[in-house]
Amino acid sequence: MSSQSSISARLGRLATYTVLGVLGATMLIPFLWMVSTSLMTDLEVYQFPPRLLPENPQWSNYEGALTQLPFGRYFLNTILVTLTAVLGQLVTCSMAAYAFARLDFKGRDALFALYLATMMIPTIVTLIPAFLIINAFGWMNTYWALFTPLLTSVWGIFLLRQFFQSLPRDYEDAARLDGASAWTIYWRIILPLSRPALATLAIFAFMNAWKDFLWPLIVTTDNDMRTVEVGISMFSSIYGTNWPYQMAAAVVVLLPILIVFFFTQKYVIEGISLTGLKG
Amino acid sequence: MLPRPPYALLVLAVLALAVPRPGQAQEVVTLRVASWANEKEFELETRILEAFMEQHDGVEIEFEAIPVGYPDKILTSFAAGTVPDVFLLDSPYIPRFVNRDLLLDLRPAADTLGLDLDAFFPSVRKVFEQDGALYALPKDFTPLVMYYNKRLFDAAGVPYPEAGWSWQEYLSISQRLTQDTDSDGTIDQFGTVFINQLYLWVPWIWMNGGDLFNPTGTSTLGFFNAPKTEEALQFLIDLRTRHGVAPQDVMVGNESSANVQGARGLFYSGRLATMPSGRWALIQMMPYIRSGEIDIGVAPLPTPEGGEHVTVLYAAGWCVPKTTKHRAWAVRLAAFLASEEAARIRARSPIGVPGLQAVAADQVAADSFGVEAVFVDEAAFGRQSWGTQVEAFTRVEDLTRDAVDEVVIGGRDLHEAFTDYAKQIDAMLLDEAALAGDVTVLEGNPEILGFLFLGVGLMLVFMAGTMLVAQRPGRRRLLTGYAFLAPSFGVLLVFILVPLVFSLYLSAHQWNVISASKPFVGLDNFRDLMGDRLFWKAFGNTALYTLHVPVSMALALLIAVLLNRNIRGVSLWRALFFLPSISSIVAVAMVWQWIYHPEFGLANYTLRLLGLSTLGWLTDPQTALIAVMIVNIWIGIGFQMVIFLAGLKSIPAAFYEAARVDGASAWQRFRHVTLPLLRPTTFFVLVTSVIGSFQVFTLIFVMTEGGPLHSTDVVVFHIYQNAYDYLKMGYASAIAWLLFLVILAITWIQFRFLGKRVSYG
Repeated sequence: MSSQSSISARLGRLATYTVLGVLGATMLIPFLWMVSTSLMTDLEVYQFPPRLLPENPQWSNYEGALTQLPFGRYFLNTILVTLTAVLGQLVTCSMAAYAFARLDFKGRDALFALYLATMMIPTIVTLIPAFLIINAFGWMNTYWALFTPLLTSVWGIFLLRQFFQSLPRDYEDAARLDGASAWTIYWRIILPLSRPALATLAIFAFMNAWKDFLWPLIVTTDNDMRTVEVGISMFSSIYGTNWPYQMAAAVVVLLPILIVFFFTQKYVIEGISLTGLKG
Repeated sequence: MLPRPPYALLVLAVLALAVPRPGQAQEVVTLRVASWANEKEFELETRILEAFMEQHDGVEIEFEAIPVGYPDKILTSFAAGTVPDVFLLDSPYIPRFVNRDLLLDLRPAADTLGLDLDAFFPSVRKVFEQDGALYALPKDFTPLVMYYNKRLFDAAGVPYPEAGWSWQEYLSISQRLTQDTDSDGTIDQFGTVFINQLYLWVPWIWMNGGDLFNPTGTSTLGFFNAPKTEEALQFLIDLRTRHGVAPQDVMVGNESSANVQGARGLFYSGRLATMPSGRWALIQMMPYIRSGEIDIGVAPLPTPEGGEHVTVLYAAGWCVPKTTKHRAWAVRLAAFLASEEAARIRARSPIGVPGLQAVAADQVAADSFGVEAVFVDEAAFGRQSWGTQVEAFTRVEDLTRDAVDEVVIGGRDLHEAFTDYAKQIDAMLLDEAALAGDVTVLEGNPEILGFLFLGVGLMLVFMAGTMLVAQRPGRRRLLTGYAFLAPSFGVLLVFILVPLVFSLYLSAHQWNVISASKPFVGLDNFRDLMGDRLFWKAFGNTALYTLHVPVSMALALLIAVLLNRNIRGVSLWRALFFLPSISSIVAVAMVWQWIYHPEFGLANYTLRLLGLSTLGWLTDPQTALIAVMIVNIWIGIGFQMVIFLAGLKSIPAAFYEAARVDGASAWQRFRHVTLPLLRPTTFFVLVTSVIGSFQVFTLIFVMTEGGPLHSTDVVVFHIYQNAYDYLKMGYASAIAWLLFLVILAITWIQFRFLGKRVSYG
């Protein structure tokens, strides 16, 4: 009886790993293909049947890709924009989320609905006017243009509101009896209790800002103001896409975000888990 | 972005340039120069500009390389009053600028500076001439020619093509070089390739005595569907469909660079004997020609019996906007950029044929592989593209491509399709002509600032009003609430709410970025929308596209449930599945484009290994949308999985234990415990994924540009095309608003019918 159940448990386990393995491989193969292509010569890419691995890894592709464009500057720009976006979202989202989750004032729910409704606005609708505004401010080719639209995130507000609502009210009630203001409660009680959720938001803010493509493309024309995402798109042109270089650049762009995620994924999962996302 | 045939280099003797302008010594003039230079040219152009700065004290130059979205950015910069002082003009964009009188006639300046305009190839210079004015100084150019792989010709004992070869010879050569080299029953070496792009097939019409437009460039009926035109295209189409000497699946008419690149790939790998292209294709090949890895020749295009020797000429030149604040310096700089000195710097790594005859001759003399001469010889037979005269040329390119696609892929009768499309093109041209004649450039945009002030004002009035109305305790709470919301609301106001309202304003206007008059048209844009066949096609595709959401969610849930079973290395697995979500979409889309490539891609390689028949993937209208959906699933699954995993973790273990005690099987536990308790999570994932799906853009933009045959044309891409390719921002805003309303309605329906059930009992 017990050995039978352990056999079926083992079979279940085997099935689990098999399914995960197959699906996981599907996730991974395009990346391996990307890395492999990044190490091929321009002509190897076009061999038939396709080569899976380069004959001699062309590590110089990385040097070539990185020196042809000012990647140092691109990274600096991206890091500045990303960090500003993360800090901005931590402040603005937590404040708004606190108001929606804990403060009681007239019109609150209607305002929250308005916020949520903005999530449904396709980016393309606001893109042209937003560009005209940046332009009217004289902010083209500045960091202002790159990060100001990223200073808040309705998704982040929603996430934090869900989290704040799940926090026990005991501390707050006690603090309120002691005469603490809304600011004090927000700063001294809510924020310290919300580190995992804030970490989650920070990570999502980081990744979204890092990956942003269309906006930086539109508001920068100066090569020195470009971000890495836009930078890699410069590798392709009508003169021919140099696939190995392009893939090498893509790998380099991808690495920081992978590293950040790998070390912080606990917060991503736990943060979301704690919020429970109860609608 | 169209793969835009590039071109050109330069010109001229520049005696006057050597003399620094007196009296300017103290004041530093900053000039801005723009081109679509990619990384290779960037370095060379920078060197040229440095040379200019060395010769002229007090001049600083900023170089803006805009490899993506170049014409849009330049046009927008006119509207914004931030136009560069000198910019590179691509021949197909001449009318946009010239029709609005935005460019300086450089002929008087050339006289003043003593430029010898006859040093340029006359046919190239002519590209930039209109009514006696010269709007740009040629940088470089290219005619369209035929590349051929010498090794394949040698192996088959076929003589190389030479000037004067006929269509008949072209066909028979292609037939001889189309082979099944490994005798496995499938053709693996093709004689030639047919790429459905107007810029590649237009000279074939001319040499057959036909044309695309009437002589004034205002109508295509009776030209595009005339026998001579149809005969030429039928000949090209037959290479693919009737004779099978051109690959079926490489080249379906969308703009995606991987397809064009795919033809080059076949050519590089010795599986394609001939390929029509311009000088630009040599850039990538040159290193391999030098290393001996490939051995190619260049010939003029073949001519039909009794036809005319003619090809199409694409050129680029430096122009100066009338609105520059440094006209004298800008003209000097343009002249320098087109000078022999600059051309010689560029000649170190030429991307086109220099527009200066002397420099071009040297380029031929220095060429030991015999590939440059034909380009220079063909200059004399070059005719300028219709794009230099027809403003709405981008749309003509799109429509003619659709017409040919309907014949090639859709099997439609050629004459019927061409007649139908000639009418559509004429209607579109009439439409566009109604907009023309409007020549003023708007400086900045005061309207948007007005809306912004109005928005801020309304917000303040609202806040003050609600506080006045509120009772005393409520007023204080209101103030606190507003204070906490202020930072986020400020950002939303400026970047979402005001733009949203402004786009509604746009949607009621005939709004073209560069025209001063933007007439109010009421609901006309929405009315036009109802009859826009392509919009409805895009709308249908978007709806179909949403079907990937349930598939993606099911897979994400499966993975989450498996990962939730205390397996080893959960964090590694999680990272693995999350990897695509965090990756650069541009990079990922490019990898997948490559994976899907019918010839070189991993997808078909795998199918072949499994003994299955291969698919066209992105090149087949039947599979293209699904192929993109698969990528979207691949990207989105990780994010959904993480949220599901979070939902699963929040289900108390006690529920499962209770179920187990009751003897529930694993499936029953999943069905009766997991699923119901997971409902809030599922709902969240569903709503956000559907909203995201309706807004799909980047994948389409990078992978298919809406093709083939509009099978992946989605609403946001349709908006983008109208706004940026056709510059119909009012119309684009109308579509955007309609999309917004549809998304709202669908979300409301989801909340209404599914949201109710989302709560813990």
